[in-house]
Amino acid sequence: MNAATVPWIILFTPLVAAAVILFFGRYSKPFSAGLAIGATLLCGILSWWLFTQPDATEPNQFFWINLPDIFSVPIGVTVDHLSKVMLVVVNTIAPLVFIYSLGYMKHEEGYWRYFAGLSLFLFSMLGIVLADNFLMMFIFWELVGLSSYILVGHYYPKDSAADASKQAFLVNRIGDFGFMLGILMLWLATGTAVFSQLFTSETLALLQSNGLYLTIACVLIFCGTVGKSAQLPLHVWLPNSMEGPTPVSALLHAATMVAAGVYMLARFFPVLEHVPAARDVIAWVGGITCLVAALMATQQDDIKRILAYSTISQLGYMVLGVGVAESWDVPMFHLFTHAFFKCLLFLCAGSVIVGMHHEQNIWKMGALKNKMPFTFLCTIAGTLALTGFGFHGIGFSGFYSKDTIIMWAVVKAPVLGWIAAVTAGLTAFYMFRLLIVVFLSVPRSEEAKKAQESPLVMVVPLLLLAIPAVIGGWPFIEHIFFHTTEPENVPSIVHYALLAMFLGGAGLAWVLYRRAAKDPVSIPLFANRLYIDNLYTWIVKVFQDGVAWLAGWSDRWIVDLFVAQVPSKLTWACGYVLRFLQLGNIQAYAFFFGAGVVGLIYLLIAR
Amino acid sequence: MTAFLLSPEFRVVFLGIFLLMLDSFTKTDKRYIAWAGIVGLVILFGFSFFPGLPEGVFPPGFYLSDPTALFFKRFMLLSTILTLALALDYSKVYQEYIPAGRPGAGLGEFYILPIFACAGFMWLVSAADFIMIFVSLELVTMCFYVLVASMRKNLLSLEAGVKYLILGALSTGFLVYGITWVIGLTGHTSLDGIREVLPIVPQGYQVALMFGLGLILVAVGFKVAAVPFQFWVPDVYQGAPTPVTAYLSVASKAAGFVVLMRVIEPFLTVPGLEQKIVTVLTVLAALTLLYGNLAALPQTNFKRLLAYSSIAHAGYLLVGVASVGAEASGPAVGFYLGGYLLMTFLAFLVLVHVGRVTGGDDISDFNGLGRRSPVLALGLLIAMLSLAGLPFTIGFLGKFLIFEAAMQSHQYLLVVLGAVTVACGFYYYLKVVRAMYWQPVVAEAPAIPVPVFTRFLIALLSAAIIIFGIYPQPLLAMLR
Repeated sequence: MNAATVPWIILFTPLVAAAVILFFGRYSKPFSAGLAIGATLLCGILSWWLFTQPDATEPNQFFWINLPDIFSVPIGVTVDHLSKVMLVVVNTIAPLVFIYSLGYMKHEEGYWRYFAGLSLFLFSMLGIVLADNFLMMFIFWELVGLSSYILVGHYYPKDSAADASKQAFLVNRIGDFGFMLGILMLWLATGTAVFSQLFTSETLALLQSNGLYLTIACVLIFCGTVGKSAQLPLHVWLPNSMEGPTPVSALLHAATMVAAGVYMLARFFPVLEHVPAARDVIAWVGGITCLVAALMATQQDDIKRILAYSTISQLGYMVLGVGVAESWDVPMFHLFTHAFFKCLLFLCAGSVIVGMHHEQNIWKMGALKNKMPFTFLCTIAGTLALTGFGFHGIGFSGFYSKDTIIMWAVVKAPVLGWIAAVTAGLTAFYMFRLLIVVFLSVPRSEEAKKAQESPLVMVVPLLLLAIPAVIGGWPFIEHIFFHTTEPENVPSIVHYALLAMFLGGAGLAWVLYRRAAKDPVSIPLFANRLYIDNLYTWIVKVFQDGVAWLAGWSDRWIVDLFVAQVPSKLTWACGYVLRFLQLGNIQAYAFFFGAGVVGLIYLLIAR
Repeated sequence: MTAFLLSPEFRVVFLGIFLLMLDSFTKTDKRYIAWAGIVGLVILFGFSFFPGLPEGVFPPGFYLSDPTALFFKRFMLLSTILTLALALDYSKVYQEYIPAGRPGAGLGEFYILPIFACAGFMWLVSAADFIMIFVSLELVTMCFYVLVASMRKNLLSLEAGVKYLILGALSTGFLVYGITWVIGLTGHTSLDGIREVLPIVPQGYQVALMFGLGLILVAVGFKVAAVPFQFWVPDVYQGAPTPVTAYLSVASKAAGFVVLMRVIEPFLTVPGLEQKIVTVLTVLAALTLLYGNLAALPQTNFKRLLAYSSIAHAGYLLVGVASVGAEASGPAVGFYLGGYLLMTFLAFLVLVHVGRVTGGDDISDFNGLGRRSPVLALGLLIAMLSLAGLPFTIGFLGKFLIFEAAMQSHQYLLVVLGAVTVACGFYYYLKVVRAMYWQPVVAEAPAIPVPVFTRFLIALLSAAIIIFGIYPQPLLAMLR
């Protein structure tokens, strides 16, 4: 075992687990769960070990397809600081979620299917993290899409779940199409898709010689992020994907998969930092997403959907960070802290949902703090981390990472900076709304009165995740993983403004929801998600269905007839005619044989 | 002398004689003879991986022991083992059609003759001399005359036997006549000798030389089922006992191709002749591709379908042979044949079992096989996909290598024709798959019991098809 083989082991262990579970998992529940958890624990240990190792300097790859000078597809792993940090994040959170699933999925259908899906997802995610070229990353990018499809559609007999998984896949395809075009543009221009070769100074100079081309390519690559990280306008799939089991939402749709878009931008940062125009686009998309998603979150009633919009909003922060910060450390730092506290919040939500017998509407809950004390504590930790509670350099993890992004934004693009700061206030508002309505105030249903704390197997992962959610941003920990810098000349008013935003948001929530039996505020615009979903439905109905009808008609009456039916019948007729040569009569055979001899001799001699 | 007698071929002959004597001295159920044959051949197959005979045991220019010959010796051993395994499963059906006093009697020859044929095949793939080629070819053909007609109470089998005998004798006649011309003109029987003499053969003799070679090509074309010498194939394949059909379509075809490549090789060194030979091969390949694939389309009988499929595959292999000048054409043909062995025997293995239960071998007898016997259906699915040439199967890689060689030698017409006819292949192979998985079972068909050994073979062949389809290097290394 050495630093060259370990990444491969980390990558393929989950795949092997997935395959074995797929074939044999149906015979034993403990076997499939045990295998999946064992595989992810092994990945976790190896990832931490790899983190202590120096970066790899030699390329560690082989060729999947190798036609020199024409077409080569390398499959290789990158082991640098970025990928090592991401490995640690993914492989620390994954085992906890897997173990938590033991409790959450205990009485569910398709136990082995679930664990095989999770393991397949882990393999795909690790492939993105380790990929050393865009092609391999794209393959795994699609594979996470596939595993997300499988896992979101876990309860596929339910129409809403099947639709949600389909929608997630299709919406991602739109972004991925742009991503693929971007990769192809880069490949066309430079002849390589390998990161280490793209980032050499000669390649960069070559790319910069045509600024517009490079900008378009970068924006197209960013489309991949827009899809995968649910940025506006492709954000619609993420809230709907909450139809999947809650641990899936925690792992895929909060901590890791959706963050892959940000990770990809960080990976691509060496090129991106030289393309200011593309970064402006990125910053604005991120900034607007973070505000709009937060506004939508304030009016949701489903506990998981609130968190989903919150995730979109936080991803918006990260994307904004990519757009404004001077290194990838800043957005990745927020990705790092967000992974822990958002995963924690989702798992808390899962715990509440189990305690409430699968009730997800927060207006049916209330006063759960005594019934579910551990969940309550962990939710507080997660909420304070997410809202970025802290002042003067002391606070919860989100305080450090989010405020760094906001400061960069304030310095580089003041408008976006203040949008982000206002969003922080909204974040505090909707998170405290959730906290107060669910855990404090009064019980609003029979289930809420009879709720029970979840079993140990679910509570322990919560407590373990609460630790990094609280301390994950503290400077001594930050310096192990990142080297973030703060911009100079930050107006000091920013710090006070952010504190005021937090207090204002939290205070408003306290005033409004302390005793509310039902939602006292009603803003249909936000509750209906700015009517964006309705708009999309309309577009699909009018345009896509029209095109589909036309295509269907021409397929049936033109393609089928002239491309399929006529040639196939003709070919078949030829074969049918040839059958008549097979007379079954040996004299005839001998005759044909003789004719063949004559023909062959003629070809050989006479010509 | 002892070394001579211990050459692989003699070991196989000894095994055959031993089994023949065993057969004469026992009167009970004869199936153990097949088992003994399988075990013996497996041991001999194992021996082939140890260092062979020392140099100089055979006169040079008479017997080759190069890697290609070794590869095909293993190929022949393997196909004989599989044939015996098929014969075991087929015993019940076979027995109905032979006059036998007691159950199990009269089966001995059925198991032993393939072993003698195997020895002939092994000599044939090593033969580098026309005498040797002729004698070993006749050894094989004699065995097949008997085997094809051996179900004496079955009219189809008898008819197949007669057709094979008459047309086979015809082709043998052409072979001898052609060989005579070549020997007469060159004064040599060995291919090495002919190669040396050819450049100095006077220009005026070249027509005569081509005449001789043409007749030899006719005979070999008959063996490999090239159009227009293929008319015997559908009738004989359908009438012969299924294991014999499989053996005929795999081993006999492979041997034909080895001989074809060996025999034309010296002639290709002569500049004037090369072009003509390539033309003939191209025409044969094109006709065979078209005929095999098109005529397979309307077939409703699975055995006949496989017969046409075997003609079609001969077409692809001829494309490989016609790719003269491409470095990879020899290995490509060898690899293709290796894949062909795996998938053809897999298909026949399933056919034997389905035929045993349903009593027929029409495609409609496979209806609903996916429900009646998932193991057989899965095996046949893999065989069909590989025969059609789906990626990640050995059938795909075989076609890929063949077309690659054809591209190298600029045989673009054949590549286009090959690609188009592959589409036909998908149609008629998938027709069987459709029957297995999408057609309802006729009446209340019982589940088909599959013996453990057969299950093992199906798993082995399927795994080999897929593994070598993804990782072909070990096979290719044997050929280069």
